[in-house]
Amino acid sequence: MNYIELSLTLSPDYTDILMAELGELGFESFVETDEGLLAYVTEDLFDETAIQEVIAKYEELTAIAYQVSSLEKKNWNAEWEQNYEPITVGENLVRVRASFHEPDAAFQHELVINPKMSFGTGHHETTSMMLEHQMHIGHAGKAVLDVGSGTGILAILAAKMGASPVVAFDIEEWAVENAVENAGLNNHPEIRVFQGTIADVDPAERYDIVLANINRNVLLVEIPTYVSLLNENGYLFVSGFYEHDAADIEAKANEAGMELVRSLTKNQWSSLVFRKA
Amino acid sequence: MAKEVGGYVKLQVKGGQANPSPPIGPALGSKGLNIMEFCKQFNGRTQDKMGMILPVLITYYKDKTFDFVIKTPPAPVLLKEAAKVKGGSAQPNRTKVGSVSWDQVKQIAETKMPDLNCFTVESAMRMIAGTARSMGITVTGTAPWDNQ
Repeated sequence: MNYIELSLTLSPDYTDILMAELGELGFESFVETDEGLLAYVTEDLFDETAIQEVIAKYEELTAIAYQVSSLEKKNWNAEWEQNYEPITVGENLVRVRASFHEPDAAFQHELVINPKMSFGTGHHETTSMMLEHQMHIGHAGKAVLDVGSGTGILAILAAKMGASPVVAFDIEEWAVENAVENAGLNNHPEIRVFQGTIADVDPAERYDIVLANINRNVLLVEIPTYVSLLNENGYLFVSGFYEHDAADIEAKANEAGMELVRSLTKNQWSSLVFRKA
Repeated sequence: MAKEVGGYVKLQVKGGQANPSPPIGPALGSKGLNIMEFCKQFNGRTQDKMGMILPVLITYYKDKTFDFVIKTPPAPVLLKEAAKVKGGSAQPNRTKVGSVSWDQVKQIAETKMPDLNCFTVESAMRMIAGTARSMGITVTGTAPWDNQ
């Protein structure tokens, strides 16, 4: 999604008020500047008339000038991605590196991930714990669904461990392109990646493993759907939430007929694996 | 040894909605920080404040690591939430479409105290009530200091 930048010149006394007003018009983020405020909104929500109405509301109190610019899509994370250090999981289990790093044959599985502003390099606890969980549960011949796949890292490890078929999806167009590219770099072009949400998965499909590294709110809503897609004795791997939310996630999974079989905690992040009872 | 600070970035981002686009992307990306990690962490920590504008102060270090502090939402955001007025009044000085009670003003003042340059809750309340008036939100009832 492309973004629009609204640059406002106004008195600092009114920046917070304008932020609150623009927040209601769909603006997502803001930066205070010496001249006033920069505000950012996705192109589809940009409504210049509504902005003019807000400005008109305050014109008796203060002068506000604005300028609109359309922002090009760009990989802002390129600098970090060009220099990132490989990460390892467990004793010689998994190593994640970029294509510019030298291979290391000491590891059972080596994943090549060029992230291009998508999430999932294993540097974050939520990802590395999922990789570690995966290495402890057999994937050979199993049907795997990766929900919110980002770089495709979890789906790629699943394919390397012999899972088939492997299906992955993400809501972000960029992540989809990136996962396809990474699947190719790892010689697993058969991984099917599409853009969408869980609602786009055919409810008649069945999987042996569902991988979901997302966040607490989405997981709490979607866990019952993941479970409905699982075969008997199927596994659900979840991550992306803090330790203090683990009990809610576990309760939701139990309610849907799952039992906890593995649990990891790192830096206050939690990651759990459930089996369909 | 303590890590060497490279600098600070201050942004305002809606809870649960950080993504690598501007302003987060360019602000952190240009420093060589991993934007994706910031987004995952910020969204993880703000699941209870989905959609609420939150000031975030990011400290980045010379070794390309960072940490951040999330502050209380700006007073106008809290006022809108309290008054539940969509868009406020079309003419703030005339038509009052939303209202908040002095109790709500006090609550907001107490929430904002750590981030305001006010020494007493009363002065914070006066400031919040002034902001409400600018936005066309009426404060209903009698101010506690008028009661005595």
